[in-house]
Amino acid sequence: MSPQVLLHLGLRSLLLHKLRSTLSILGVVFGVAAVVAMSSVGEGARREAVSQIGSLGIDSITLRGRPAAQGGEADGLRLRDAEAVARVVPALVAVAPVREASLAAQVDGRLADAVAVGTTPAYRSAARLSVRSGRFLSDLDVADSKRVAVLGASVAGTLFPMGEARGQRVQLGDEWFQVVGVLEGRALPRGKAGPIRTRDVNRAVFVPLPALDRGRDPRPDGVDEIVIRVEDADRVTASAETAQAVVRRTSAAPFEVIVPREILRQKERTQRIFNVVTGAIAAISLLVGGIGIMNIMLASVAERTREVGIRRALGASRDDVAAQFLVESSLLTAAGGVAGAALGLVGSMLIQRLAGWPTALSPLMLLAALVTALLVGVGFGFYPAWRAAHLEPMDALRHE
Amino acid sequence: MAALLALEAVGKAYTRGSGEVVALRGVSLEVGEGESVAVMGPSGSGKSTLLSILGCLDRPTRGRYVLAGTDVALLDDRALSRLRNRAIGFVFQSFHLIPQLTVAENVETPLLYGATPPAEWRARAYRCLERVGLLHRADHRPSELSGGEAQRAAVARALVTEPRILLADEPTGNLDSATGEEIASLLDGLHHEGRTVVLVTHNETLARRASRMVRLRDGRLESDEGSAAPPA
Repeated sequence: MSPQVLLHLGLRSLLLHKLRSTLSILGVVFGVAAVVAMSSVGEGARREAVSQIGSLGIDSITLRGRPAAQGGEADGLRLRDAEAVARVVPALVAVAPVREASLAAQVDGRLADAVAVGTTPAYRSAARLSVRSGRFLSDLDVADSKRVAVLGASVAGTLFPMGEARGQRVQLGDEWFQVVGVLEGRALPRGKAGPIRTRDVNRAVFVPLPALDRGRDPRPDGVDEIVIRVEDADRVTASAETAQAVVRRTSAAPFEVIVPREILRQKERTQRIFNVVTGAIAAISLLVGGIGIMNIMLASVAERTREVGIRRALGASRDDVAAQFLVESSLLTAAGGVAGAALGLVGSMLIQRLAGWPTALSPLMLLAALVTALLVGVGFGFYPAWRAAHLEPMDALRHE
Repeated sequence: MAALLALEAVGKAYTRGSGEVVALRGVSLEVGEGESVAVMGPSGSGKSTLLSILGCLDRPTRGRYVLAGTDVALLDDRALSRLRNRAIGFVFQSFHLIPQLTVAENVETPLLYGATPPAEWRARAYRCLERVGLLHRADHRPSELSGGEAQRAAVARALVTEPRILLADEPTGNLDSATGEEIASLLDGLHHEGRTVVLVTHNETLARRASRMVRLRDGRLESDEGSAAPPA
């Protein structure tokens, strides 16, 4: 029989029992829908992690001082720690000490919600910043503790909506700074903050490290962070350990080491577990769906025993009969796969809207779900089709 | 001239449970092209088994069956099905139309398994329906037909592949005598057109219309009357 004839026969027979056909594929529909929705959540989480870590750079290490347990003399990270790291740890691109303060930035009464960051020229390379106009901080700025500032893109936009920021003066806290440069805007990962705190460089105002007024800071050489970038991303873990050991030797301060690459690895491990769980659920629900299909096909074969006998008498071979039933079960699960994929898509959109989780669907996943559904139809339709094909024609004809 | 249908010492045994049931014991029979043969015999004499072997629905367990020069033992299921489709038309006692299909679709069904291009199916089905006088019922369902009409539809279906052989199993068994007569003369007409007809029946009157009468008993050929086989 030609494929068109088989398809036509199959469709006719399924449409004859619309309710039964619909009910029988529900297992496959929900199975595929669950897989599609869950994998889109997993894929969304993965992409978010990758973009978040990408904005930090997988070749970067951050040492961040933790507030002391007690209010006493906090002996945090110091400038000399950064210098020691730069001296001892091999193969570094840049080491930049960072100080932070939340200070209002204003010009002519326009107020920008900014983070003042005191650092050295090395930060530009350590954090992969690019300058849109003017220049970044220079060594001389730091040495002379000059009152100059480099603005993040959104700060510049807020304070100087009309024109060139460069050359203008900005009030930061109680002091005035001259703007020497503006940074390129940087796209930030959407969604909620993940496990890694990333600095929003668009909202930052960079000033020379010693020029940042820390008010009554008991430690004139104290820093909040040391940002490091290594030459070889594959060696970032080893470098992080060395840097940690170096700082431990000179400082009793509590601090944490943030290695985005490690976090990415950990996320990937979590992702793998998630994938295994998703896969197991998919397998179970498709198994259940497949058993439903097999059940309905066996019932259909029993009900149509006489039809099988008639068709055999009229010239159908065993293969023709088997093909007819296989096409029916495959059509059922293919329809279930398509409906399930659509339902899963709607589900993942709802998850994104209602729960705020980012979702993303890889077309490959969608294709895999459809192909699997089709295979379930062929696999679980096989035994009923075989049964139908091996009915004895004369017995089948006499069947009531 | 070789016979169209030739059974040579055909035996058929079924395994039922642990035992073996022998339905045919060494039946030899030749039917020439254009003959009309009635097969008679009491229930359990092996009539149906003989018919299913003649119709290639089953194979002998002993002996040989040669159909139009081909030993069916040499054919696989696919080839046997093709042969059945091309050479044989069946008419059954209980019509055996597929209830979900219209009359025209039922008549078309054998063409699905043959080599006729789909574009010609409907026209051929209509031609056969016209031949049995049922064209006006083409779009009805089998359940809307009377018994006589249903059997005429079945005859149209048996004719649609232009087979050389018609096998009829009690074709009038479910009909009253008037409609039975209609079907019988329809079959007579087909025989006179040159088709070979093998008829299995209990009905003595129907059997007498055939030119040759074969009786079976206990799986053996008991008698073969009027075998006025055309001179070779």
